[in-house]
Amino acid sequence: MPLLRVASVLGWIVLAFGLAFLVPIAVSLGLADGAAWAFVGPMALVLLLGAALVGLGRTVWRPYRASELNVRDGILLVGLVWTLLPALAALPFMLYFAGVGQPLNFSRAYFEAMSGLTTTGATVLVGLDHLPGAINIWRGFLQWLGGMGILVLAVAILPLVGAGGGSLLRAETSGPLKESRLTPRIATTAKGLWSIYAALSLACLLAYRAGGMSWFDAWMHMFTTMSLGGLSNYDASFGHFDSAVLEWMAIAFMLLASGSFALYFVAVLKRDPLRIWRNPEWRGTQSLMLGSGLAVAAVLVWQGGAAADWETLRRALFNLVSIASTTGYSSEDYTLWPAFAPWLMLFLSAMATSAGSTGAGIKMARLLILLKLAQRELTRILHPRAVTPITVGGAVVDQTAIQSVLAFMLIYGATVLGLTLLLLLGGMDFDTAFSAVLASINNMGPGLGVVGPAGNYAGLSDFKLWVCSLAMLLGRLEILAFLVLFTRAFWRK
Amino acid sequence: MNGLSALWSIFGPVLALLARIMMAFSFAFLVPLTWGWVLDLDYLRAIWGVAFGLTFGSGLLLLWLTRNQYRELLPRDGFLLVVLVWLVLTAYAAIPLYWLVPDISWSHAYFEAMSALTATGATALSGLGDLPISVNVWRAFLQYIGGLGIMLLVVAVLPLLGLGGMQLYKAETPGPMKDTKFTPRIAETARGLWLVYFGFSLACLLAYRWAGMSWSDAFIHMCSTMSLGGFSSQDASIGHWDSAAVEWVAIVFMTLAGISFLRYFLVLRSLTLGPIVNDHEIRSYFLVLAGSVLLVTALLTAHQVEADFWTALRSSAFHVLSLATTTGYSATDYGQWPVFIGVFLLFLGCFVSCAGSTGGGIKMVRMVLLIKQARRELVRIVHPRVVNPITLGGQRIASATLTTVLGFMLIYGAATLGLSFVLLLTGLDIVTAFSAVVATLNNIGPGLGLVGPAHNFGWLSGFQLGLLSFAMLLGRLELLTVLVLFTRHYWRR
Repeated sequence: MPLLRVASVLGWIVLAFGLAFLVPIAVSLGLADGAAWAFVGPMALVLLLGAALVGLGRTVWRPYRASELNVRDGILLVGLVWTLLPALAALPFMLYFAGVGQPLNFSRAYFEAMSGLTTTGATVLVGLDHLPGAINIWRGFLQWLGGMGILVLAVAILPLVGAGGGSLLRAETSGPLKESRLTPRIATTAKGLWSIYAALSLACLLAYRAGGMSWFDAWMHMFTTMSLGGLSNYDASFGHFDSAVLEWMAIAFMLLASGSFALYFVAVLKRDPLRIWRNPEWRGTQSLMLGSGLAVAAVLVWQGGAAADWETLRRALFNLVSIASTTGYSSEDYTLWPAFAPWLMLFLSAMATSAGSTGAGIKMARLLILLKLAQRELTRILHPRAVTPITVGGAVVDQTAIQSVLAFMLIYGATVLGLTLLLLLGGMDFDTAFSAVLASINNMGPGLGVVGPAGNYAGLSDFKLWVCSLAMLLGRLEILAFLVLFTRAFWRK
Repeated sequence: MNGLSALWSIFGPVLALLARIMMAFSFAFLVPLTWGWVLDLDYLRAIWGVAFGLTFGSGLLLLWLTRNQYRELLPRDGFLLVVLVWLVLTAYAAIPLYWLVPDISWSHAYFEAMSALTATGATALSGLGDLPISVNVWRAFLQYIGGLGIMLLVVAVLPLLGLGGMQLYKAETPGPMKDTKFTPRIAETARGLWLVYFGFSLACLLAYRWAGMSWSDAFIHMCSTMSLGGFSSQDASIGHWDSAAVEWVAIVFMTLAGISFLRYFLVLRSLTLGPIVNDHEIRSYFLVLAGSVLLVTALLTAHQVEADFWTALRSSAFHVLSLATTTGYSATDYGQWPVFIGVFLLFLGCFVSCAGSTGGGIKMVRMVLLIKQARRELVRIVHPRVVNPITLGGQRIASATLTTVLGFMLIYGAATLGLSFVLLLTGLDIVTAFSAVVATLNNIGPGLGLVGPAHNFGWLSGFQLGLLSFAMLLGRLELLTVLVLFTRHYWRR
């Protein structure tokens, strides 16, 4: 029974997660905001649960060492982690809001925590400016932690789930990543990726501080920038600061974080920064976002009556990069722009970020393969027997990988449609339903309509919030890694 | 000069054939002429006569101009010929509409003619009931010809195309697996398909007459039912008759026309029901239709849209069939129903019709293949090295075919998104823009929002109508046939 086999590893992860509660507790004590009590109880509970899982897993259920886990266990573990941890992380929210007399039910707290851990950035809370620091930093820190989880996920699990996005990654990173057993892969790569993540985070923190944020705001926004999460401790999001310098900084760091951390890691390891520039996926990501930013600025000038100056360019770039990189900050209500712009931004979030970044969606690696494939199909109807292999960055992508990419892409489309229909069934207008699903499945955050940057998800019914939570989870685990848990083949020996 | 003569060497032989097809097509004008002669005002005869003469004369002129150019077609010439035939014939078909319908622009007339020939059924006209009856007959008759295919007709009646026949057939006929050779001679198959089509049409005509329509209306609706086009002689569409009998006749014949005519042909040839009963695609077709009818009936009953269960069932069956088979009739303004139903019906239109039927969209067989591929991907995650080929009705699908099918859906999705974004740029709202593209690209007809069943396309600008006309052509020729002309590869010889 694989469920018992992974129990002890799950226990260790839960234990480690329990330590994360120390961050909001420390912040609360430092700020004296009086919210620490909401974290102490849950922390104890989480530690207990973790210890119990480790203990039972090791002694009673199945004496099993972490080093013996195989791919299937890995997939199961990931599914469990990403459903269980949000439930645990939701506890402080429920406690705190019950304590101040505005109870938040489990559906809402779970949605908020899921939005944090999947680095989505959608929120059901209003009046963020007046929440205690501990609650806000917990939301931000969850995203940063989620980002760390994603980096491991991206190198350890998702490439094995196929869907091709990983094939590029594997070609790029050498040595240990090609190891097929799970644990050594994680152990060796996680440290490297995390140190890059930490270094960039530090740079981001100092930049924000130098740009004029308070230390608290700088921490909060660093957490949510590097993880491409997008939660903020202000209802007005980044617009609160109204600062050109900060927005340019955020643009730069969001663009950086949209690239593959594995690529950065290898570049550092080989002391070859040009390697980043030569990577087709990195270039694709950056040029798509910058090019679209220019296009949106042009639309703003042409149809939106904006002046053709740097400020317009910054407004367009900031909001576009924020949405396309699946972060989800906003500096103004961009739904008031000509309809083309917000919808373009929303669709870019489905494909702009690189595999191996903290972003979500289809990923640029797949998009590149798809583009080449579309080109090839057009020549193939002229020469049905011609054999033209598809190459990305000089490496040939094999037929199976191509079919996987295509299938993934279509399953992604089908999932978006299916979840949208589900929301419509619950009674909602099309704009809101469609954009909420896109925003959730791409782990981006704000949609359009009611759930747009000027609104939030608070008005949605519990059923709809569960649909969105599911969408976030599916998007994070690239759909297949979660769906496979529901197949017979997975559970058969 | 060299470039020009090279271009002429490509276009010359194609135009030589186009000339012959135009001359043949001009006889189609005799159908509305007959109606005009008997039932309409005197001056109409002249107009239909002039249209006939103009088309025939242009064909003759072109024939003389290209008199030295006639040669056997190369396989690749087929794409150019088919696209030119559709573009040029549409223009000639639009001429009498431009003359006869008061206050319409050329783009309206062209849109209307394209909508007719591609059996889409989106109309840019209003006040249909007040138009001369021969105009409505012309609109419907165009759908009748275009429904099964102009080239198919050409191949059947004009033995002039020699080796190019199969190529033309492939370029125009929907469905992924066109290599199947049914009979040794393509012309014989084409004739067989048209005979089956005529047979059903006769039955449909009599059924409509029996249900209470006048002969003219029965003819018009027979044409637009069998071609799954959906034009009507009334603004209120089938709703004008408000008759259960008429609706049931429409339901039955739409269902029949949504199945591959090749299957009927095979049934007639082999005198067994095997080809239909054992077909996986047809089984899925009925399954999806039945499920959808039940779902919509349940929703209509739950929301108390219709008075009782049986009315709800009829209404649901009629609209599900009408939209899923890409016909596009309406009996009431289903835009007023819960939002879910409208979107769901449009979604069905994208894939329900079978390959080889007169319907549009990506076709059921591709959907079946997609689902099989998705299932295979899930198995592959657990067993990465397993080889499990995809089969359809016991036949193994070649890997290359599968890639082509999936690639087609990718291009189809990209075209939908791309065209929607262009429409957004022109200032439409998302529901109208997106549904207009889906409704035209899949040759369905009515969309949602401002192009919904209670509205029409008449208020759109010339550019928007042109774009949507292009979408209809793209959809009817299944994208690649048209898009290949835009590749450099095609023109380099």
